[in-house]
Amino acid sequence: MSDRVNPELVKRFRKYGTGDWNACFHCGNCTAVCSLTEQGILFPRKEIRAMQMGLTNKLASSPEPWMCYYCGDCSETCPRDANPGELMMSLRRWLIAKYDWTGLAGLFYRSLSALIMAFVLVAIGVVAIGFAKDFNHEAIMNFGHSLEFYLIFAVFALILIPNILRMFYYSVVRAKVNAPFGSYIAAFGNLFVHMFTQVKTLKCDKQTIRWFEHFMLVLGYLGLLVITVYLNWFETENQIIIYLGYITGGLVFVFTFLLMISRIKKTKELNKYSHQTDWFFIIWLFLMGLTAFLVRLFIDTNLLNDHFWLYMIHLIVISQWGILLVPFGKWTHFLYRSFAVSFANLKKAALKEKLVTAA
Amino acid sequence: MPKDLIINGIRADSDPSKTVLEVAQGLGIHIPTLCEHKALTPYGACRICIVETIWKGKSSLHTACTYPAWEGEVKTNSDVVLKARKMILELMLAEAPGAEDIQKLAEEYGAEKGKYKVHRAGTENLCIMCGLCVRICTDIMKVGAIGFKERGYRREIATPFEKYSDVCTTCGACVFVCPTNAIKLEDITDKKTTSILSEFDAGLKERYPVYMPFPQAVPNKFIIDKDNCMYFNNNEACQICKEVCEFKAIEYGMKDETIEVEAGNIIVATGFKIFDPKRIEHFGYGRFPNVFTSLEFERMVNASGPTSGEIVLKSKDEKGNWIISPDGDKPGSVALIHCVGSRDENYNKYCSKVCCMYSLKLAHLVKEKLPDAEVYEYYIDMRAFGKGYEEFYDRIKEEGVNVIRGRTAKIEEINGQLLLRSEDILNDDLIEQKADMVILSVGLEPKEDSVDMSNKLGISTNEEGWFVEANSNSDPVNTHTGGIAIAGVCQGPKDIPDTVAQASAAASRVVQSILKGKIKQSIKDLSFENIESQAKQISKIKE
Repeated sequence: MSDRVNPELVKRFRKYGTGDWNACFHCGNCTAVCSLTEQGILFPRKEIRAMQMGLTNKLASSPEPWMCYYCGDCSETCPRDANPGELMMSLRRWLIAKYDWTGLAGLFYRSLSALIMAFVLVAIGVVAIGFAKDFNHEAIMNFGHSLEFYLIFAVFALILIPNILRMFYYSVVRAKVNAPFGSYIAAFGNLFVHMFTQVKTLKCDKQTIRWFEHFMLVLGYLGLLVITVYLNWFETENQIIIYLGYITGGLVFVFTFLLMISRIKKTKELNKYSHQTDWFFIIWLFLMGLTAFLVRLFIDTNLLNDHFWLYMIHLIVISQWGILLVPFGKWTHFLYRSFAVSFANLKKAALKEKLVTAA
Repeated sequence: MPKDLIINGIRADSDPSKTVLEVAQGLGIHIPTLCEHKALTPYGACRICIVETIWKGKSSLHTACTYPAWEGEVKTNSDVVLKARKMILELMLAEAPGAEDIQKLAEEYGAEKGKYKVHRAGTENLCIMCGLCVRICTDIMKVGAIGFKERGYRREIATPFEKYSDVCTTCGACVFVCPTNAIKLEDITDKKTTSILSEFDAGLKERYPVYMPFPQAVPNKFIIDKDNCMYFNNNEACQICKEVCEFKAIEYGMKDETIEVEAGNIIVATGFKIFDPKRIEHFGYGRFPNVFTSLEFERMVNASGPTSGEIVLKSKDEKGNWIISPDGDKPGSVALIHCVGSRDENYNKYCSKVCCMYSLKLAHLVKEKLPDAEVYEYYIDMRAFGKGYEEFYDRIKEEGVNVIRGRTAKIEEINGQLLLRSEDILNDDLIEQKADMVILSVGLEPKEDSVDMSNKLGISTNEEGWFVEANSNSDPVNTHTGGIAIAGVCQGPKDIPDTVAQASAAASRVVQSILKGKIKQSIKDLSFENIESQAKQISKIKE
């Protein structure tokens, strides 16, 4: 498969992230300093080379950007200040846009105004529904509950699952990864482990605290999701569920708050370059946890009926989250990263097979 | 008229101001000693220098180190003397059975081990109570940190109240003079002892406070390191060097002289310093014993270096310190890493020019001395810029040196070997390679005082600290300050042929000015009107 050189790609890429990638002189330091590289899975230098030459097809077919957990060691030690770490992050954003069949992900990355407009539209939509129901509290809360149910299902069925299939197409089929059939079972064996723990982060140097922060956040998020949607947190009388809800909600907004502080302070290499989508993601996650927590608090203190605007805000936030940020934003890392590990396993198996047959 | 003193049948002048030992040594006659030292007054503790003296027909035994050289006859190896020495050694062996020097002497004189039993704990004792350590500490070094304790068979060398000494200066004189290695600094004080490392040998070898800086030093004289010499640190103590110097050449009062010279020209050739690789933690320099800088390796491989040119790995001495010793193991694999501290935004942006070629040279030397060793060169670009340099690079590859494009990112230690992690760019591979020794090709930097020097002289430095030439194309030797020329690496990294060429150019400029009898006007000396009129002339020509 031949790929066309495209010198314009670097310019288009500026919308997805910042970095002086043309400065790279290919010393190989970044690939060697990375704790996650291994035989057959080499990055970030090769990605920078592909970027410099504008090899769009090659970039679209690589699972390597997902194998990086952004410890920042490569950028810190790069002798040219070419910022390979941020390139990997930008590639992840670009790939999210590439895998997305609707093209909306790409639009939201490239255009801040489009993103804001989409947020505003969703907010207006929710308020309109409020009007339609005459702002009847019970009706709206019922609506909200069933919205969550159906929205999750719709997002998965219409967007996330097709996009994962597209990812498979790009990373395995287009990339001509010929892994023997038997290796598929072994390759996908750890899929759910990676999905829910992202253990590979721990292989990097000094990332334990960061891994822990994210693990607690995801634990809180998934817990809150289950408790609000499937255990009906806002209507239940079960004390245990109510407390668990508070705990998971608290975990969400506390840990997002800590992560926001790190992003503001820019203490580590990986915090230094925040794209607008990074801010939307973390702020909305914070608001989700906070508003959910406060809604239940208002219910328990009998304040909600007089202050129903809080629930409206919560509904707007989760709608924007579910419709815009989950299918088209950073949330997809949850799925793409874990599948990428499996696709990389297939790549390694194919390589081994090639060496065995060549021998 | 001087009377006769006959030692072993050889005639000498008797001289009561000298000891028999001194006269015998003057005649070249060997008498064994253990507690004697040129700088110390005779002590007569060990008794091994016993000789037979015959005066007026009467024979008696005396220690040669204390007995005055009166007239008479002395026999240093007669039967009675040998018998006496044998017994003395047997007694010493009972006291200190583990002392190797005593054992050697004992073999010489046929002394039996274990003939006498002594009331002292075990066989670990090495001290023969010769008193050299106490005497040198008290009389010569004027410190007095140790002394004798107890009497009779319980007599020992100890610090006051057996506590760690505060006054001990860790000069190590006691350890140095002890004939049986019985005394150790750790027993006297808990102060940390640091070796004085030879600057010329890149810290690979120790040196004394009085030393020759390097074999071809000009002037070729010994110098005293005031910071470490006991004379200067402890109120004019020691002075052994002055005592033993036959030519009375030692003068402690010598001071640095400041000389004022009026000159019409100055050539600045102040050189450079190397990049300190401790700044890059990933390479483990200073943490792992067998990571060397190129300069350290140069010294090791040099015939006048600490191992006389043998390439060895560091080994641990009895104290557990890593040292270079000629008996060390030879490395089976050596890796050289290029661009350490150069071409790097985090340290020095520029290329240091010489490192690629010197790395190839070092690889060649390794292959020459250790033909079976595996040698690896990790580089970013190979800069073989001069006449014959590219051909040398080809030759190195033919000799079997493995060159890999891909700068090593980090070094770790595994089982005493070093593990290097690099990307092999041309083969699209990740390399995790084990090597016994790693050499870091460190870059060149301006000397620490280059900015200071530039201020003093009124010449400029560029942002990196190298001195600025008048014009990099047409005038690389003069500066903008009249009368001052620059030559060598202080102007920018360069190798020896280029330095010699630049130095010759600078010298010829100076000769030119001397012959002309006047100094070439530099821009700094011109008046404003002068510059203005010259500028107007140039702009007229352009039009």
